Amino acid sequence: MRRSRSPRLAGYGALAAIGFVAALALRRPELAIVAAPFALVLAAGTALARDPGIEVEFTLRTDRTVELADVEAELVVRTDRAVDRLELFLDLPNGTEVLDGADALAVRLRAGEERVVPLRLRAVRWGLYDVGDVEARARDPLRLVVWERRFARAQTLKAYPRLDWLSRTVPPVETQAHTGSEVARVKGDGIEYADIRDYVPGDRVRAINWRASARRGDLVVNERHPERNTDVVLFVDSFTDVRGDGRSTLDDAVRATATLASRYLERRDRVGLIAFGGILRWLRPGMGLWQRVMLIETLLETGVQPTYTWREVSSIPAQILPPKALVFAITPLVDSRFVSAIEDLRGRGFDLVVLEVDPVGFVEPGRSEIAGLAYRLWLLERETLRARLEGLGVGVARWRDDVPLEAALEEVRTYRRNARLARV
Amino acid sequence: MSLAALPLARADDNAVFEAGLRVAVVALLTLVAALVLDWPPLVPASLGLLGGLYGVQLAVDDASLDSGAALFAAGALVTAELAYWSLEERERVRAESGEGFRRLAFAALLAIVALVVAGLLLGVVDRVGAGGLAVDLVGTAAAAAAILAIVAAARRRETGP
Repeated sequence: MRRSRSPRLAGYGALAAIGFVAALALRRPELAIVAAPFALVLAAGTALARDPGIEVEFTLRTDRTVELADVEAELVVRTDRAVDRLELFLDLPNGTEVLDGADALAVRLRAGEERVVPLRLRAVRWGLYDVGDVEARARDPLRLVVWERRFARAQTLKAYPRLDWLSRTVPPVETQAHTGSEVARVKGDGIEYADIRDYVPGDRVRAINWRASARRGDLVVNERHPERNTDVVLFVDSFTDVRGDGRSTLDDAVRATATLASRYLERRDRVGLIAFGGILRWLRPGMGLWQRVMLIETLLETGVQPTYTWREVSSIPAQILPPKALVFAITPLVDSRFVSAIEDLRGRGFDLVVLEVDPVGFVEPGRSEIAGLAYRLWLLERETLRARLEGLGVGVARWRDDVPLEAALEEVRTYRRNARLARV
Repeated sequence: MSLAALPLARADDNAVFEAGLRVAVVALLTLVAALVLDWPPLVPASLGLLGGLYGVQLAVDDASLDSGAALFAAGALVTAELAYWSLEERERVRAESGEGFRRLAFAALLAIVALVVAGLLLGVVDRVGAGGLAVDLVGTAAAAAAILAIVAAARRRETGP
């Protein structure tokens, strides 16, 4: 351990020295007597001070959690020699905190003692955190000498984003071939009633609608919509992150992405992920619990990497964007490169929905007249952009602070329902 | 303030008392500044001022051996202990219950030890009562040795991981 002096040692040393010198200079033994206790404390403290031989181990009970959920951890402290005061400073990364209060604690240990200190941590934001670096500082009984050591044995804590409540998803225009929970537009074997038609040889007897057949005087059969799964690609904008007031658009975007992914995967849909920004990350569409874990863990690595290079949709591998997939773009609609990518995807015929993580709430209008004007112009530009996207047939859901995700997506569902009616 | 009261009580002259009071106020302000600004070097500066006041007062009076020196020594040590303790407590560290009482008891014990040691030394000085060049030389050598020992102990470093 690194040995260092406490301010007390220097102070007492100075006082003792001044006292002795002053006693000689002024020829007053009282001053030497006043200085003597300080010298005695110094002599005793430095003579008795020994390296306490401290070992600290940090253990997390789990390496996965959900943001704002408690995580149990413990510090195991061992010492060879008695320590009057051992201060332990838990060096936690930004985004994590100790629930019981201070991230520093002091214990007193006897020689050879092992102490287990339980801790409760919390991740206030989703992400990957290296926790477990502990700074130990031991003091001798006279507090003259300090031994310090950093125990860098960090463990990775994965804090998954918390999920918003979502009862319904946005249905895609077209479904895939596999069985799922989405009622397909086409007719075939299924549960949902679609229509009736005349019986043709080969139709199953149980498909005959006897009541309608009796009315018509000829055999008619029920037609049904099959339940199919869909391919959904979550297209996350990681070019820009608008931050303010302890929140950020990227944080909200990741939470929305995790919510949508979980909801679609529960419906047996195949879900893929593209984080489109400075670093391009993707995950091929898949289904099941493992895909959900993979998807959320890929999301955890999402961050804004500043870049000035122009990215195009063509840089995304083709198998990541399967035909007939519903592409769900989650973006604050701030970076023109992402907007261009949305328009490009729409131009390629993809069924596209934009979930706009509205950054307006993060931006304060300036106080000057010019700043106010610029703010209003910016709002107008955003309105124009939304109108342009809707003109291309892209439904845009505005997700603001005061609007739940469910309500924001209802805007798109309504838009798409009306759009279908108009097309018919 | 009680530490400053001892030298101030010895002042016979008003002018000396006023000067002493001013030094005591400066010492008190220095101590407060040390605690408020979290600057430990001001603690010995404050106590040094009080010690200087006491020493000058003794020199001016040119009185016989002051038996109050033991009290002053214990008071100075306790003041320094409490000041450094207060500085240590500025960090938000969650301590075990009872640590405050333990520390307070330790400071009280230090005060008693200081009182006893200073009292013993006073007794020795009173008994010996020697003076002259030889005693001065021995005193200088002892003081220098003590200071060197303190400096050597303070500079000692232990290496480790």
